[in-house]
Amino acid sequence: MAERLLEIENLTTGFMTEKGFVKATDNISLTIEKGKTLCLVGESGSGKSVTSLSIMRLIDYAGGSILDGKIVFRGDDLAAKDQEEMRKIRGNKIAMIFQDPMSALNPVFSVGDQIAESLRLHQNKSESEAWKEAVNLLRMVGIPAPEIRAKQYPHELSGGMCQRVVIAVALACNPELLIADEPTTALDVTVQAQILDLLQKLKQELGMSILLITHDMGVAAEMADRIAVMYAGAIVEEGTVEEIFANPSHPYTVGLLQSIPGFEGTRGKELYTIKGTIPGLGNLPGGCRFHPRCPHVMDKCKTQEPLDFKVGNDHSAVCWLYEDKAPVVLGRNGGETK
Amino acid sequence: MSANLNNDIAPGGQPSVQPQREDVQPTAPLKKPPGPWMTVWKKFSRNVYAMTGLVVVLIFVIAAILAPLLAPYEPSHIDLMFANLPAGTDNHLLGTDELGRDIFSRLLYSSRISLLVGFAVAAASVIIGSLIGSLAGYFGGWLDTIFMRFVDVMNSIPLLFLNILVLAIFGSKVSYMIMILIFTSWMSVARLVRGTFLQLRETQYVEAAKAIGVSSWGIIFRHLLRNASFPIIVNATLMVGGAILSESALSYLGLGVQEPDTSWGKMLSNAQEFMLIDPIQAVYPGLCIFIVVLAVNFVGDGIRDALDPRQKAMVSRRRLKQWRKDYSK
Amino acid sequence: MTEYFIRRVLQSILVLFLITLITFGLIHAAPGGPTKIFLAPGLSQEAAKIQAHNLGLDQPVAVQYIKWVGGLLKGDLGYTFKNHLPVGQILWPTVGNTVVLMGVAWLLSLLIAVPWGIYNSTKEYGLSDQTASFVSYVGFAMPTFWFGILLQEMFALNLDWLPLSDMWTMGKEGNIGNLFMHLILPVTVLTLGFLAAYSKYARSSMLEVLEQDYIRTARAKGVKERRVIFRHALRNALIPIITVLGLDLPILVGGAALTESVFNWPGMGRLFIDMAVAREYSVLMAITLITAVVVIIGNLIADILYAVVDPRVQLGKGGRSA
Repeated sequence: MAERLLEIENLTTGFMTEKGFVKATDNISLTIEKGKTLCLVGESGSGKSVTSLSIMRLIDYAGGSILDGKIVFRGDDLAAKDQEEMRKIRGNKIAMIFQDPMSALNPVFSVGDQIAESLRLHQNKSESEAWKEAVNLLRMVGIPAPEIRAKQYPHELSGGMCQRVVIAVALACNPELLIADEPTTALDVTVQAQILDLLQKLKQELGMSILLITHDMGVAAEMADRIAVMYAGAIVEEGTVEEIFANPSHPYTVGLLQSIPGFEGTRGKELYTIKGTIPGLGNLPGGCRFHPRCPHVMDKCKTQEPLDFKVGNDHSAVCWLYEDKAPVVLGRNGGETK
Repeated sequence: MSANLNNDIAPGGQPSVQPQREDVQPTAPLKKPPGPWMTVWKKFSRNVYAMTGLVVVLIFVIAAILAPLLAPYEPSHIDLMFANLPAGTDNHLLGTDELGRDIFSRLLYSSRISLLVGFAVAAASVIIGSLIGSLAGYFGGWLDTIFMRFVDVMNSIPLLFLNILVLAIFGSKVSYMIMILIFTSWMSVARLVRGTFLQLRETQYVEAAKAIGVSSWGIIFRHLLRNASFPIIVNATLMVGGAILSESALSYLGLGVQEPDTSWGKMLSNAQEFMLIDPIQAVYPGLCIFIVVLAVNFVGDGIRDALDPRQKAMVSRRRLKQWRKDYSK
Repeated sequence: MTEYFIRRVLQSILVLFLITLITFGLIHAAPGGPTKIFLAPGLSQEAAKIQAHNLGLDQPVAVQYIKWVGGLLKGDLGYTFKNHLPVGQILWPTVGNTVVLMGVAWLLSLLIAVPWGIYNSTKEYGLSDQTASFVSYVGFAMPTFWFGILLQEMFALNLDWLPLSDMWTMGKEGNIGNLFMHLILPVTVLTLGFLAAYSKYARSSMLEVLEQDYIRTARAKGVKERRVIFRHALRNALIPIITVLGLDLPILVGGAALTESVFNWPGMGRLFIDMAVAREYSVLMAITLITAVVVIIGNLIADILYAVVDPRVQLGKGGRSA
């Protein structure tokens, strides 16, 4: 197994809402290896973004907080750091790109300024050096005429261009981990492919790891080395991309794959949909959190939270269906450690 | 998200623990989700300031309605023998003014005019403003242009000046005052409605309503105005306070209510003349205005906060620590 | 840019024209028309006719209007009816006095309110924020003139620390120290009102900006929190504040009228009230026009500032629509 860059152990985060306290992620664990891409897949509202904000510790600003667990990055627990220490890591060692590129850039500063700011912050570069570097970065992310573009403001660029700028901002300091939170959702389909290609290319050139958050199994198939499927604040299945696609085990994952148009076995049939909707995080059902929507629901599912079962090589699923067929993975999410 | 959302959260905001989940059966019969009015009222009624404001406003309204029953003296009864009595003498609860009139009775009767002006102006402004705003926002074109230029003009003159000018020219009558205050207040509602309409005019459901042949008025009243109704209510509530303040200012300047009628502003204007002899007289009417306007504004802000879905509960460091402790148990 | 200015100026002229029409129209709509109001009562029919002729009141309304506007264009604001004084002679000194009072109060409140609001946006529901919220509620609900009267009773009559009213003590005109003492109470009254509004605007504008995605991006970059607030957020938050300041100008002028009246400040607002009671219409029309001009210029300045702060606004290309 390759060197581990980031390990999330039993992370629980939550928000205070008007109705009381709500857990956004429940006891989740993840590992990202050096130079690899982990895809976190799930519907909106499943806690993917909260996980990424927790790694960045930006969740503190969003009104949430980390209640329990560790986020170990190169041997340091980020969950225990204060904001000043985190500040030196953010944008430097770990960088992030966001869903809506148009609103992720500050409208009153030129894009060159916004890239150069990272360089001046973390690498103490002079203004002119940083500007030169910013222009280079724009060229690297494939923006034509970067000298001119650098002086422009976000509203003068298209959505795809803006996302390239956001990527340039994130890559300015050569981060070891890039968190991409639905980087293509807000873009046109043709532009989506370009941005994904760009990320793939940059990952190989720079040797960084990527945590890619998406609701799109197609994107995951193209980008991922490993996939973790998240549902209602918990990870329900995790494994290598080959394993997950060859042998999807959790009924939710199966549902996600079947609802891709044109996926093998679905062609010609009516498009599959998972019945029901994802529960609100303050409103989780008892037992397995997926049971009200599960086609294979059993009595046990309604009362007891399932354990994590090893369903294949480097592949596990949190589902009672495998109770008799597979060994339990200890220390993973599920009721066992708590 | 429905009404049973609370069930998962233990009292005191503790994070829920597994066993509590068991009593939430997904098969439990779902109650009909409460309507928007109910939801707003629920949140509103939990707001201490807003509820206090509401109670205070109601007390003032009831007092104003029952003024003839509650007032111990005729408010305009002059008796120079008993001028400037201190509070409490001879059944004069708050004393008498420079002409021997009972201050408490005058305050009661004053509230009638002040509140009448406040509510009448707000109500009429909402009706006129919604109507004009709907027309401008829905039909657009030259109607909208005329409306916007008119608002430009009104925004370029201090409205207090316009009020003064009109009352000076046409004479000071309560009815005139109400009319000119309406004339200078309806624009905010109209702009709000116009803005909402411009936003919603192009939406799919309006297109759909048009396509199935709903009339323009049907769309305006049934679809669009309903969308703007809550912000209008907030605006109207805050307008009541504004109108009461304007009335008191105009009466204070001698342009509003005339003798023998009385209002809080009118009383203040009298009191200022006799500030050296009896300073406390200036306190009561001002305090009444202050309290009523404050109460009305609390109600308005309460409604606005109840409407705001983004309102987040703030987490103090102490409570956060408590949750962490509870959680790790 | 030039094209924008030309269009703005044309628009302003239209608004001013409408304002002259409205004020002039209002006066002529008065019961009995201006003739009855303007002429001294008790004049014989003959004398009334002569005077009406001298004042030009026997001409058709349209002719009177054109003459008045023609005079305005030449800088002639007309004459008062009572003593036949030139309006300018009465009016201009009061304009200066109002500018002194309002300028001091406005600048003072901006200097306090904007930083305070920004600070409160970063410490939501803290002690300072709750104080500001309290001040806002009091400021919005307190009748300005009542607050003025209370201050007079307290600091002028009871404690005798400060002068009761007026701009100067008799015989000390021009003494800055004396002016300062006279300014304290009315400025306090006005500042409370402005503070209530502006600290709230500044706070809510900042709060809205702080929720934006680009603020998260800045934090994700590792920008220091101070820099996030003062560089990334503040410039965006200033945009709506500038608009509000521009729109508030009429309230500024109108609000001063009450305070000036309470403190007997020889300003334009008090003059307007006095002249309204005395029915000196030429003065009223002049004041309305001057305030409108000030407001229009103020809004123009606000628009230019807007374009300076926000690169998305280009004055040449339509700008923002109202």
